[in-house]
Amino acid sequence: MAPPETPQPTTLRHAFGNVLSVFVLLLIGVFAFSIRLFSVIKYESVIHEFDPYFNYRVTQYLTKSGVYDFWNWFDDRTWYPLGRVIGGTVYPGLTLTAGTLWRILNSLNIPLSVETVCVFTAPIFSAFASWATYLLTKEVKGAGAGLTAAALLAMVPSYISRSVAGSYDNEAVAIFALILTFYLYIKTLNTGSLFYATLNAMAYFYMVCSWGGYTFIINLIPMHVLLCIVTGRYSPRLYIAYAPLVVLGTLLAALVPVVGFNAVMTSEHFASFLVFIIIHVVALVYYIKGILTPQMFKVAVTLVVSVGLIVCGAVLAVLIALVASSPTKGWSGRSLSLLDPTYASKYIPIIASVSEHQPPTWPSYFMDINVLAFLVPAGIIACFLPLSDASSFAVLYIVTSVYFSGVMVRLMLVLAPAACIMSGIALSEAFDVFTRSIKFQLLGSTENLQVNNAGESTNVAQNDVVKTEKNEDSQKERSSRKSKKKEKESTERVPLVSRIEQKLLVLPLETSLIAVFLLVLLGAFYVVHCVWAAAEAYSAPSIVLTSRSHDGLHVFDDFREAYSWLSHNTEVDDKVASWWDYGYQTTAMANRTVIVDNNTWNNTHIATVGTAMSSPEKAAWDIFNSLDVKYVLVVFGGLVGYPSDDINKFLWMVRIGGGVFPHIKEPDYLRDGQYRIDSQATPTMLNCLMYKLSYYRFVETDGKGFDRVRHTEIGKKYFKLTHFEEVFTTHHWMVRIYKLKSPRNRIRGKTKKSKSKASSTTSSKRSGTRKKNPWH
Amino acid sequence: MAISSTPTAAALLLITILFLLTTHGTPLSSDTIVSELSSLRSQSSTGVIHLTDSLLRRILSLPTPRPFHSLIFFDAHQLHSKPELSLPALKSEFSLVSSSFQSNNPNENPQLFFFDIEFQESQASFALFGVNSLPHIRLIPPTASDLKSDSIQMDASDLSRMAESMAEFIESRTKLSVGPINRPPIISKKQIMFIVAVVLIWTPFFVKKLISGNTIFNDKNIWMAGAIFVYFFSVSGAMFNIIRKMPMFMADRQDPSKLVFFYQGSGMQLGAEGFSIGFLYTIVGLLLAFVTHVLVRVKNRTAQRLVMIFVLFVSFWAVKKVVFLDNWKTGYGIHGYWPSSWQ
Repeated sequence: MAPPETPQPTTLRHAFGNVLSVFVLLLIGVFAFSIRLFSVIKYESVIHEFDPYFNYRVTQYLTKSGVYDFWNWFDDRTWYPLGRVIGGTVYPGLTLTAGTLWRILNSLNIPLSVETVCVFTAPIFSAFASWATYLLTKEVKGAGAGLTAAALLAMVPSYISRSVAGSYDNEAVAIFALILTFYLYIKTLNTGSLFYATLNAMAYFYMVCSWGGYTFIINLIPMHVLLCIVTGRYSPRLYIAYAPLVVLGTLLAALVPVVGFNAVMTSEHFASFLVFIIIHVVALVYYIKGILTPQMFKVAVTLVVSVGLIVCGAVLAVLIALVASSPTKGWSGRSLSLLDPTYASKYIPIIASVSEHQPPTWPSYFMDINVLAFLVPAGIIACFLPLSDASSFAVLYIVTSVYFSGVMVRLMLVLAPAACIMSGIALSEAFDVFTRSIKFQLLGSTENLQVNNAGESTNVAQNDVVKTEKNEDSQKERSSRKSKKKEKESTERVPLVSRIEQKLLVLPLETSLIAVFLLVLLGAFYVVHCVWAAAEAYSAPSIVLTSRSHDGLHVFDDFREAYSWLSHNTEVDDKVASWWDYGYQTTAMANRTVIVDNNTWNNTHIATVGTAMSSPEKAAWDIFNSLDVKYVLVVFGGLVGYPSDDINKFLWMVRIGGGVFPHIKEPDYLRDGQYRIDSQATPTMLNCLMYKLSYYRFVETDGKGFDRVRHTEIGKKYFKLTHFEEVFTTHHWMVRIYKLKSPRNRIRGKTKKSKSKASSTTSSKRSGTRKKNPWH
Repeated sequence: MAISSTPTAAALLLITILFLLTTHGTPLSSDTIVSELSSLRSQSSTGVIHLTDSLLRRILSLPTPRPFHSLIFFDAHQLHSKPELSLPALKSEFSLVSSSFQSNNPNENPQLFFFDIEFQESQASFALFGVNSLPHIRLIPPTASDLKSDSIQMDASDLSRMAESMAEFIESRTKLSVGPINRPPIISKKQIMFIVAVVLIWTPFFVKKLISGNTIFNDKNIWMAGAIFVYFFSVSGAMFNIIRKMPMFMADRQDPSKLVFFYQGSGMQLGAEGFSIGFLYTIVGLLLAFVTHVLVRVKNRTAQRLVMIFVLFVSFWAVKKVVFLDNWKTGYGIHGYWPSSWQ
């Protein structure tokens, strides 16, 4: 608009503000990256847990063989003898991202290993995510709120838990994609630009590539569009923001093999199509209203609305018929359990049993979003005063995500960005009010200063408004037509007036000072909590364990010891059987074929392994032999007190095995309903393979066989293995590897009984005298 | 030989006579019992027969194999108030299976009877079955002679999925088909028709109002309150209470006269506990919003000052309380990382 009277100081001020913002954002990015490095500093640069190892292996394959081979990859190293089609069953976003990153770095002659790139992908993308949060919040409530929200997101514990260095999982990039998609949607909604609409569809495509959680987007945005229409906020900008997203987004989503035709055939996506129809009907009505006189319009409206209703009704009927013809009404079990929270606990025990699908209690919120939980309501209220398209979207986002997080603790991750945005808005508004109060009253102490300053600050305020107005106008002029300009001007006059008014809206000085102090204290507490959570709670890689006792730090690196033993001492084509938890790690680190892995798609196969583990030695040998298994790997924590070992998971093996093979019965392993491995244990328990492999020679360690996890002496201490032989046990006995004896040896063993016996006793004697563990 | 053969023959004769007697006697008594049970069954609306000690004794007096299976639900009115047992729900599911069985198998000569038995009046029968914990459902096959060992107890897993899993249990153990479970609709057909009609009539008016913009849906304060409520509802962990059916509070294990409102241990929470913390979570934000949006418009300085002091005090207290309770409940020791030279 008209240039301000004194352009010099304000432009300088703005330039300074922008530079400062960029600098702050840079620092936020560095902070987001570095707070996630605790795992590398405290442990080392390794990939964490289980699923990331699979992603790592896929990335390795991608960098080695290229995209096309990756797309068609049939993996014969897992689910032996079935194999698994990797290209068609994974979300490729993360892998492609890290692969591209690695390729770019290599082409720049920065020779990083694939593992290093994978380890640091998540921290890099969390920096991106905090920048995306800045952009999104800026669209909703301005730059100040944006910076605050970005800073909060950089360290929100819920997000840290999924994105520490080494946690190479889908969520690491998906949260960035989620926020970016929302930002571009809001940006399109605010500008009405087709350019942003196209970018939005691309961002949505990236999200679909990355994570199954994309269904949240494709339901939330239609909900918002519907809300806008119902509350009479329809505008052409809304149409531009929505229609291209549905058309392009759906087409792009169908390109991802794992989604494919699901993008048009499952109920999760139907809401978007329904709203797509509705927005067209509404757009038509608005168009006709524009070209007709009011009288004509009244006639036409009955016609159009009735025709539109009939069309809608017909489509609706088709949809309902389609949906009703499928048994689950077209919804997947997980989605249904979100809509009806009690659904999963009633009908799908496998979903209900997973710990991250449990509903959270209040301490989970305090742990994961900490003091943001206090600030969010203020942010919600701030979004309603005044309510715009963008802020209504933010409210919808927080409300849906907070409800979903209440159903499943895992979805706390989706809540975290929304909570950061809301808290950013709340904090920024609060600081705005309090610092204004302090500023004007401190300056008001001397009379002339006040007059001067009031004049100046009104000027500044005015200039601020003029400037922003100009900015927005120049943005909008490109996209929108003149006719809307008038309307916009009138809406933007309001803040100008209100700003001048606001100068008078102040709070008492001393209480404002205290309030600012308390808010800063609250922020400081948040920082302390987040750093603590990042350092202590979420950084353990679970592949290397440490424990601190009075005599210093102990490091347990048994898993990698075992996997490298496997890769160095076994044939390339040998098959290794273990419980499915260790499948991904075995294929990735030992490069050996496994029977089952963490992608639990075939229950029967898992049940077979479970049955073998719960059977006596001979039966287990038969099962394993029929699967060509050479080695059996068990994880045992009884010596060092590692609680998540196979004996503690054993009841699940029995249950899952018994679910398919009825001769395995859970009560046979329980004494009066109690799971125990001491002298009171049932004979079935004491003779099953898992017990024998876990506790074989265990008594030689301390002479009593005291299990430090179960806190009891084991029931059967001295026994021999007939069909398996111990080939390797790690330093702390956490992983024990057994080889299946070949049948020929077994027969010869009977004839030369005395000889083998003698040799085995000597060997065990020797090892007993030298050290507890013969392999060390 | 001869000496030994005579008693054998006598025994054989005796057995034959007994056998004849029983085979002769069975149709009579079992017929009467079955017809009696059928009439009892038709008297009950759901088809569940109330079992008493004497009736049970009469059934058991029938020689095996009896012509029918019996499925018995062990009930105790005094335990209906205990939510963790959910006896009333199970009982209604049980009667649902019974009525579905009856309607799906309209047989003159039923092969399966449903019974319920009350602990207060039939303690002897409970002892007979060796039942000492509830919920308990037991199937007596026709061949069962010793109740404790020959009857089959329904597993907890079969109870868990309500009527459908009970029906599966019956089908697997008795080879009798229960057929689809006929759940009574929550609202009857007439009510549905009425509601549909009301909605249809009301819709045009509503749409008209909506367009003109004066329904409660156009009032943003309603939306605001709704959003805050959903937030409060979720952060208080109410969903956890609903899914796990947690009580509002419970009696102390050590001292039953005392009530426990706060449960120590992060994996679980009680209803009242969740709501009070949810309230603390929400109140701070609401007060902050009140200060930044409403209080600044108040002209009176003293009022502003007093309200501010109150707000700051309450907020500080609420945050402090939550931090304290969280540390107490989870046992985490959250601490900062200061430079070692500072200590």
